[in-house]
Amino acid sequence: MPDKPEKSLYLSSSPHAYSPVSTSSLMLSVVLALIPSTVYGIYLYGISALLSVLVSIASAVIGEYLFRKIIKATTTITDGSAVVTGLLIALIVPPKTPLWMVALGALFAIVVAKQFFGGLGSNPFNPALAARAFLLMSFPAAMTTWTMPNGMTVHADALSAASQAADATAAATSQIADATSAATPLGLIHGHYTIPQIAQYFGAEDTAGLYRQLFLGFRPGSMGESSILLILLGGLLLLSLGVIQWIIPVSVIGSTFIFSWLLGLDPIFTILTGGVMFAAFFMATDYSTRPLTPIGQALYGVGIGLIIVIIRKFGGYPEGVTYSILIMNILTPYLNKIRTKKYGYVAPLKPAKAAKGASK
Amino acid sequence: MAIKTFRGGVHPPEKKDRSGGLAIERWCDIKQVVIPVNQHFGEPIQPLVGVGDMVKRGQKIADADGRMTVPLHASIAGVIKKIEPRALSNNLEGPCIVIEAQEGVSGDDFMAPLDAFTCSKDEALARVREAGIIGMGGAGFPAQVKLAPSKPISVVIANGAECEPYLTIDERTMIERPEDVVEGLAITMKIVSAPEGVIAVEQNKIRAVPLLEKAISSSPRTRAGMKMRVQVMRTKYPQGGEKMLITALTGKEVPSGGLPMDVGCVVQNVGTLCAMVEAFRDGKPLIERGLTISGGACKKPVNVIVPIGALVSDLVAAGATQVNEESLRKVIFGGPLMGVAVPNYAIPVQKNTSGVLFLGKEEVRPAEEEPCIRCGRCMRACGCRLSPALLAVAIETGDYREAEKIGLLDCIECGTCAYVCPAHRQLVQKFRVGKQVLRTIKQKEKEAQNAR
Repeated sequence: MPDKPEKSLYLSSSPHAYSPVSTSSLMLSVVLALIPSTVYGIYLYGISALLSVLVSIASAVIGEYLFRKIIKATTTITDGSAVVTGLLIALIVPPKTPLWMVALGALFAIVVAKQFFGGLGSNPFNPALAARAFLLMSFPAAMTTWTMPNGMTVHADALSAASQAADATAAATSQIADATSAATPLGLIHGHYTIPQIAQYFGAEDTAGLYRQLFLGFRPGSMGESSILLILLGGLLLLSLGVIQWIIPVSVIGSTFIFSWLLGLDPIFTILTGGVMFAAFFMATDYSTRPLTPIGQALYGVGIGLIIVIIRKFGGYPEGVTYSILIMNILTPYLNKIRTKKYGYVAPLKPAKAAKGASK
Repeated sequence: MAIKTFRGGVHPPEKKDRSGGLAIERWCDIKQVVIPVNQHFGEPIQPLVGVGDMVKRGQKIADADGRMTVPLHASIAGVIKKIEPRALSNNLEGPCIVIEAQEGVSGDDFMAPLDAFTCSKDEALARVREAGIIGMGGAGFPAQVKLAPSKPISVVIANGAECEPYLTIDERTMIERPEDVVEGLAITMKIVSAPEGVIAVEQNKIRAVPLLEKAISSSPRTRAGMKMRVQVMRTKYPQGGEKMLITALTGKEVPSGGLPMDVGCVVQNVGTLCAMVEAFRDGKPLIERGLTISGGACKKPVNVIVPIGALVSDLVAAGATQVNEESLRKVIFGGPLMGVAVPNYAIPVQKNTSGVLFLGKEEVRPAEEEPCIRCGRCMRACGCRLSPALLAVAIETGDYREAEKIGLLDCIECGTCAYVCPAHRQLVQKFRVGKQVLRTIKQKEKEAQNAR
C-alpha cells in the first residue's frame, strides 16, 4: 500500500495538462492590439479622448461587477472582457461624445446586451455595437457630430465651390461652418460630393493622396477607425497570436470591396472609410457573436460586406457597419449549422460493429 | 524527405528531456506481481491456475476461447498466492493473479522459436495469439485480430510517434533496438502480405531516424526485397492516434465507424513489434514491457523494463524510481493527455501501460470551469474536425440527436479540445459521458423497435 494517504492525490478524467492560454490572456491580447489605435486617437483628440476611454472602461467594469453582485452571480470582471467592451465603445463613438453618454453606452453594452443574456459567451449581439446603435438612436445629434483632429485644417471652399444638390450641400456645409465640428469622408460622400472634391477638402493633392491620408489616419472620425495602418497592425498582432483567424477579416473587407465595386461605389474609398477595417478585425471577430465554423464565418463576413454596401449605397445613414454586423449576428446560430465535414466522412461507410479506440 | 502531419492537433510542452537521454534499464527481479487477467480489448478470459500452484516464467495462466481474446502468462516464476479482484489502472476492480517469487521455484516456460518467414500465416497468427500480444500503445487490441484483416493491406505502419508529453519509451526502443523494430515490421508485413512498411517518427525523435534507416538497409529482409522506410512527421498531438497517424502518412481517412484496414493500413506500436520479434525468435510471450516513469514529482525519471503485473509502489520501494511525496499531487497511468489518474500507485503495470507519471503541485491545476467564450480553439485543434464547443452545448441541453449529428460517436477522446480550452471547459470529459448516454439511448430505441 502507498505510504501516502489516498485523499491527498487528485483524481480527474484526462487530459491532465492544459494550455496556458486563458480567457483573460486572450482578452489582454485584444487590449494590446487596440493600444496603437487608442494612443493615436488620444494624440489626435487630446485629453478628452483619454477621459472617454477611461470613463468607458470604468463604466463597463463597474457595471459588470455591480450587476453580477446584484444577481448574486460570480464576479467575472477579472476575465477582462468588460475592459475590452469598454475600450471598444470609446473607440467607435465620436471623440467628443459627452462622457455621461459614453458611460451610459458602456452600461447598456454590459448590462443589457451582455449580462441580460447570460454574460460572456452567451450574448447574441456584439455588446459594443449594440451600445453604439442604442446611442445613435437615443442621441442622433451627438452621435453624428464629428470633431476635427488636432492640427487638421480643411479647405471648405472645395465644397462650397462645387455645384451640388442644394439640400445635401447645406447639410454638410452647415456642419463645416462650425469651427469645432467636421464632416467625415463618409458623411461627405453620402452628401453626394465626389472623391476629388473630398480630396481637395482634406488638403490632398489627388485621389491617391486622399487614400494615403485615409490609410495613415489623418481625418475626422471616431478614434478607432482613424488610422487603417494602426488597425492593420493590431489586426496582424491578433492573427499572429492566433487570437483571431483570417477568414472573417478577409471576407468582410473583400466582400465590401467587391460589392461596392459592383454597385458603382469607389471600392478603395469604401474600405478605407468608416468602420470597415476596424470592424473587420475587432468587431466581426467577436467570439460570442460570430459563427464558429469556417464556412459559417465566410458567409457571415460576406453578409456583413453586402449589408454595409447596401446601407452605404441606398440607406439613410452614411455608415452601415454597426447595423450590418448586428443583423448578421442574428444569423450566427444558423450559420453554425454549416459545419466542416467530419473526419472519416469522405467515403461514407456503414457503421461497423467493432468501434475501436485510438491507440497512442 | 517531406515532413508529414495531419490537420489540427496541438503541440504541448514535450517534457521528454527528463528521460529521453536515459538508456532503458531492466528491473525484472521483483518478488511479487499482481497480473490483471483481462488486459486486452475484448472478451474476458479465465484463470487456468489455482492458488498454491507453482508456475514458471512464461507459463500460460489464463485463457479462453473467442476471437477477441489473448492468453495471459506468468511474468515471474513463483507460487500463485491469490486470485482476487484488485484495483486496476483504469480505476476499476478486476480479477488479478498474484504470484510471489519463492525459493526453489524458477525457470522459464517459453515456446519453441518459430521462423515467421517460413511458417504459414495461420501458424504465425497462432504464435502471436499464444504469446498474448496486444497493442501496447494503449488500446490493448488483440494483435492476432489486427493481423488478420479481411481487406488487403497496402502499408504497415510502425507507430513511433509517441506524441504524449513525458513518454520516451518508444523513442528509447527505437534508439536501442532499431533492428528489432525493423524485424517486427517485416514480420507484420509478411503476415498481412503488405508490400510496404513505414516507421513513423515525430521530428522530436529525429536522432532515432539514422539508426532506423541503418537497421533497414542492413536488414536481411531488405536484401530479400521487402520495402521499408522511415517517415518523419511534425511533432504534434494526437499524431500517435491510429486514425491521425494514417491520415498524416497516407492522406487517407479511416471511415467513420471503420478500421485502419478499410484504408489498407495496419498500425503497430514499436513496442508491440519488439514483442512480436521476441515471440518468434525466442518463443517468449509478452510478460514484460518497457515504460517511462517520469513527471514533475518524480525524482528519478527512468525508462525501465518491468514484468507485467509489477506494482508501481513496489518499483518505488525497490528504488527503480523515486517519488517526491511532498509535491506529489497526481499519479497517472499513461501520458498526461490521455492517461488515467489513479488514487494511489499500488497498481500493476499492464501490457498497455506506456508510462507512469508522478505529477507535482505545479503541474496540477484544480480546473475551475468558466463559461465558453466561443473562441473556437477546440474546433481548430480537433483532429476529427468535430465541433467540440457546439457538441458540449448539445450535450448540456440534452439534445443527443444534435450531438450525434455533430459527431459525438466519432470523437477519439484524445482530449485536445480540453487541453486548448482557455475557459478550462471539461469538453472531452463531457463527451465521454455523453457517448455512454447516447449509446444507451440508441440501445433503448433499438429494443423498442424490436418489441414492436
